[in-house]
Amino acid sequence: MEQAATQRTPLIEINEARCRMVGECYPENIQEFSAPVMSTLRSVVPDAGSFTVDLELFYFNSSSAKFFFDFFEFFEEKAAAGLAVKVNWNYREDDDTMLEAGEDFGEDLESCVFELIEVQAPSEGDAQ
Amino acid sequence: MINDETLELHKFMQARRTLFCYSGPLSEDLLTQISNPVRQQLSESESDEGVAKRVFGVFVEQAQNIIRYANLRADTGEGVGTIAISVTEDDGFLIEAVNAIDSDKRTALESTLLELSMKDAKELRKMYKERLRSGPPEGSQGAGLGFIEMARRVQRFEFEIADTENGPVFVYRGYVS
Repeated sequence: MEQAATQRTPLIEINEARCRMVGECYPENIQEFSAPVMSTLRSVVPDAGSFTVDLELFYFNSSSAKFFFDFFEFFEEKAAAGLAVKVNWNYREDDDTMLEAGEDFGEDLESCVFELIEVQAPSEGDAQ
Repeated sequence: MINDETLELHKFMQARRTLFCYSGPLSEDLLTQISNPVRQQLSESESDEGVAKRVFGVFVEQAQNIIRYANLRADTGEGVGTIAISVTEDDGFLIEAVNAIDSDKRTALESTLLELSMKDAKELRKMYKERLRSGPPEGSQGAGLGFIEMARRVQRFEFEIADTENGPVFVYRGYVS
């Protein structure tokens, strides 16, 4: 799955080794946004081996928080069942909101390896 | 002079240092259209990106509250309300919103907001996380997190539910600096 960023949705790349999302997330319709992402993950993420999740979010709204909760729950279950999952939560320096959000999601992950990574400048996929 | 009100409107907005104001039917489509101009205005008047982001966050959540829950609907179904962002005397921001609410929801809304107004940042963070785990309360079209999110992003907020001849109207003021 490859989906370019829009004003209100992030860049999304999903394959059997990696899931990457970069940008904004406050979709007009959260179900329309989340359903294809979750179903792609369910069909392509393997049961064994290793998998990397790279997230670099600049802003997400409260409706999207529920999506990310389900997203991490999916990977936590995969990791508990034997997939080596590494999650990289990238946040911009001084962005306390995204740092706190990362800390809160990371706290609940026991089987995934979770890392908070401070990044300097906006990278590609920035829809602003 | 036929344009007294127009001139007054201009003076009023200027005196209040209003960056953005919209009053009328609000849809997700319209929110998309106005997001960029709002952000642009914010980044022009605020050098701290974190502050601008918090203001924008409150703006989005409250705009979506109007879209989903405003009791007054336009003929085409959109929720009708008013939402504005102004610069305060101390160069912070004031996010204001007004919309009609369902009489049945009045008590629940009042107690939710009263509870949120008494919580500190740490408690709000914990509450947000718990709500994320437990899922939305009944009657919520979102995750039920919107007002908690707003409370986390403001320094303080005020609210009132005013009685009008057309039913209760929710009045919100959130301060970010």
